[in-house]
Amino acid sequence: MKYVILIHSNPDPWGHPTQRFTAEGRELPDAEHERMDQAFEALMNEIVASGEFVTAEALGDPAASTVFGWTPEKHVVTDGPYAEAKEQLAGFFIIDVATRERAVEIADHFTQPGGTVELRPVMWPGGDDQ
Amino acid sequence: MTTARLEDVWRSEAPHVLAALVRRYGDFDAAEDAVQEALVDAARQWPVEGTPANPRGWLVTVAGRRLVDRWRADGARTAREEADARRTTEADVGCHDDSLTLLLCCHPALSRASQVALTLRAVGGLTTAQVAHGFLVPESTMAQRISRAKATLREVDAPFALPAADELPERTAAVAQVLYLVFTEGHTATTGTGLTDTRLAEEAIRLTRELHRHLPAMSEVSGLLALMLLTDSRRAARLDADGTLVPLAEQDRSRWDRDLIVEGIRLVEEALPVGRVGPYQLQAAIAAVHAEAAAADTDWPQVVELYRMLADLTPGPMVTLNHAVAVAEVDGPDAALAMLEPLRGDRRLRHHHRLHAVRAHLLDRAGRPVEARHEYAEAARLATSIPEQRYLNAKATG
Repeated sequence: MKYVILIHSNPDPWGHPTQRFTAEGRELPDAEHERMDQAFEALMNEIVASGEFVTAEALGDPAASTVFGWTPEKHVVTDGPYAEAKEQLAGFFIIDVATRERAVEIADHFTQPGGTVELRPVMWPGGDDQ
Repeated sequence: MTTARLEDVWRSEAPHVLAALVRRYGDFDAAEDAVQEALVDAARQWPVEGTPANPRGWLVTVAGRRLVDRWRADGARTAREEADARRTTEADVGCHDDSLTLLLCCHPALSRASQVALTLRAVGGLTTAQVAHGFLVPESTMAQRISRAKATLREVDAPFALPAADELPERTAAVAQVLYLVFTEGHTATTGTGLTDTRLAEEAIRLTRELHRHLPAMSEVSGLLALMLLTDSRRAARLDADGTLVPLAEQDRSRWDRDLIVEGIRLVEEALPVGRVGPYQLQAAIAAVHAEAAAADTDWPQVVELYRMLADLTPGPMVTLNHAVAVAEVDGPDAALAMLEPLRGDRRLRHHHRLHAVRAHLLDRAGRPVEARHEYAEAARLATSIPEQRYLNAKATG
């Protein structure tokens, strides 16, 4: 079953890895960041090796986005972020795992200073036998 | 030779050719590369020079030569191995190849996802792209699973041989789980990408047939094959004209495949008296009860008894849910709802729609429509299947 791990964060200036650019992240010593980076790399190696990793993207600055709205009369195209939310969508990971428990275990590794991690199931077009 | 014809030969011969090479040289990864190269040679030469009288023998010989070429280039092997390679003849291509390769692909050192990928790639002869498509993941992800799996087999130096007798049941159980996973992936996704998903289910049945042929005494393999055939017999009736899922109780039973049903029932009847009864045999027996009956005269007391046995063997919330559905048919919805009460706080079901969907159905039958609609809405919220969510939402508002 597939899950998407959504990383919500608002790094300033915008950058990746996001936790290096948040207020909470800046308060941590370098050694702590390095420890977290290594732990994250170990996780990535693990889920790539197990075949659970599907894909991931880091997103650009929301200021660089273009938003498409719809009204009966016309399409409304504006530059800039969709909303001045405190936390923007900063990136996503898609994983393919055997159980929800495993998805939770993996998503837990993504927690980061100054950001929120969201785990959502991905819908599929088939159906189980009743 | 057309591309399609060549692909047929590849599908049927590749596992045998691979098995012959792996048994002789023990290097799964290098053997698979060599088989691939031999196929490329075949694609180039056969259309020009004609298809050899014995395509398998040709592929074994050419793949063996390719393997030795590579070793010679690596400078890591001796002349003795070259002599061995020349002796690789069709005599090495035994009849147990598919089953042995299956056991190797389902080696305990591999993760379940890798076992599935390797099985389809090496035994099923599907391309990496086809396997990836069947599981709706990018080809690069699937390629990664397969190459890591092969590397792991090399690291643990897995032997290409039948496991010791005391290991065989456990290893066969792993193969059965992998084949069942491939089957359900193909079967449950029929509204998805059509062709490829059907192919996954068919491939699982084909491989299970092979396994059953070589291990006829393993009654759980018979049970698994029966379960697949009986489930697959309903394929045409599972979807209506719009592609909407039709629940078992509402399916047009005249569209069930009688040949598959007859074969499935025969397998269950033969397997049940032999040895210890296992979960696949019990699930197949339940499917057989449904297959034998018109909807109105299903032998529900027997289904209840079979689920009770299944719950003893493999207890779990999902078995309890199915057990309760059967109990409702015998003792009424209130008895079933009482059975489900302890599950309502179960953490394993917290994010699962099925408990709510079953309770909704039972509450409806118990004449409690308000609670039923609430449960249907809750089930819809948690469902991850698009057609199922649509069905549950309709029930919640209807």
